[in-house]
Amino acid sequence: MSGLVTINNLTKVYEKKKVALEHLNLEIPRGRIIGLLGPNGSGKTTLIKLMNGLLVPTEGEIRINGCLPGVETKSIVSYLPERTYFQNSMQVKELIDYFVDFYADFRPERARQMLANLGISENAYLRTLSKGTKEKVQLIMVMSRDAQLYILDEPIAGVDPAARDYILRTIITNYNENATVIISTHLISDIEKVLDEVIFIRDGRLILHETVEDIRQVKGKSVDSYFREVFAC
Amino acid sequence: MLGKLMKHEWKAVWKVPTLLLGVLIIIAAVAGLTFALPIWDSDWIGLPMSGIMLFMLFYVAMIGVSIGIVIYLAVRYYKNMFTDEGYLTHTLPVTSRQLLISKVITVSVWELLASIGILFSLMVFGGVAVLSLASKEGDFALLLVEAMKELGNLWDMPFFKGFQVFGVSTVFMELVSCFSGAMTIIASITMGQMIRKHRILGSVGAYFAISAVVQGIFMVIMFPLMLKMVMDNEFLYRFEESPFSFYTIMFTIMSVVYLAVGVGLYFLSEYLIHRRLELE
Repeated sequence: MSGLVTINNLTKVYEKKKVALEHLNLEIPRGRIIGLLGPNGSGKTTLIKLMNGLLVPTEGEIRINGCLPGVETKSIVSYLPERTYFQNSMQVKELIDYFVDFYADFRPERARQMLANLGISENAYLRTLSKGTKEKVQLIMVMSRDAQLYILDEPIAGVDPAARDYILRTIITNYNENATVIISTHLISDIEKVLDEVIFIRDGRLILHETVEDIRQVKGKSVDSYFREVFAC
Repeated sequence: MLGKLMKHEWKAVWKVPTLLLGVLIIIAAVAGLTFALPIWDSDWIGLPMSGIMLFMLFYVAMIGVSIGIVIYLAVRYYKNMFTDEGYLTHTLPVTSRQLLISKVITVSVWELLASIGILFSLMVFGGVAVLSLASKEGDFALLLVEAMKELGNLWDMPFFKGFQVFGVSTVFMELVSCFSGAMTIIASITMGQMIRKHRILGSVGAYFAISAVVQGIFMVIMFPLMLKMVMDNEFLYRFEESPFSFYTIMFTIMSVVYLAVGVGLYFLSEYLIHRRLELE
């Protein structure tokens, strides 16, 4: 099966010559849960933004399902950014209508079920929800799509350990099995059990792209310990 | 998709401008109603002064609502496109053209509605004032009826020659200036995003720069026309006889400039959003 995401010679240089990504080459397969791991400022969020068309590459290209980031890719990519992107004046039910209108693969009944499980009212205004609840609503909306690629940037960073379990369960039980999930996080031990592969990046360069099984069997370490070894200060 | 974008944009935007215009119309009606009150003949200066204060409030409210709606639409555009909300806006499966057109139409239509609303508030003020005076003084009502009859005869005067064409050019200019005004706001904010560290300051600077360029274009185009008016006696005579033909030409030129500037700013904004977007 061909790769879902192909990254060729990708470079991103911000103002003042700050290099966020440097000649990155990567092939991301279908049907996998992949951890995108690296220390702060390693280029994870830049890579994710480039994949979503929120930044323009300085050099190189990203192709998702054979297409450059654009209308076609946005219709098959479900993206959870590290910040909440809602209009606070909206009600939860209006948000569902919004997603129904724009994403053909959005499943409103799945979203309603998950909201009900968490006791979040559809009539609630988003401005009245706590930060943690907003993040859960955002995750529900993202995971209620039958997307081909889910890109989750720090999905468990700002929530308590109990909520982390819920979020990971939500990801595992809701993603389409032919789809790929890319999870960027610092909290490796929390997500390690769900990962199939890991990508390590540092200073905008690819350090490693391996299966979790290989790390455990060949290197005899957990991903968390191996990460600490590779990125030791 | 454009229709869906328009639907959600409209839903997100309509409440605040409608509220502002509603408040303005209420102030207009209250200000007009003061003519029905016996405050104007009072010996105590405070009463007529309070009436005058109400007129001033109406005047300030007109300006405030006009500016308030523009600022609200500008902030909405900035937030929805370039702050956290932009993470959803720019990951919708729509083209940047569809996105921009939905914003341009919404801002233009609201600029037009704001103009109509302010004009309507003036009519409410005038209408309520006239009705208030008519209810107080019977002679005033008769005078008004007479004045309305006389108004019909005005159109036959040479002074009003070419008024209909002037009216059409005025409406056209208003429509075009709504589009051009919307594009000035949208382009200023979009251009401001290119100055990564000072995005808001960049937007304000871009707004003044665009306005200065437009004023400069007007000066260059209008100068020969003004010179002709001063130098050419026949032209001046025709202007004094009926100024509407002159203003029709002026408004048409202004409309063409506004349209050209608006279209130019649209393509610049589209290019910047499509090719140079960098969300923080």
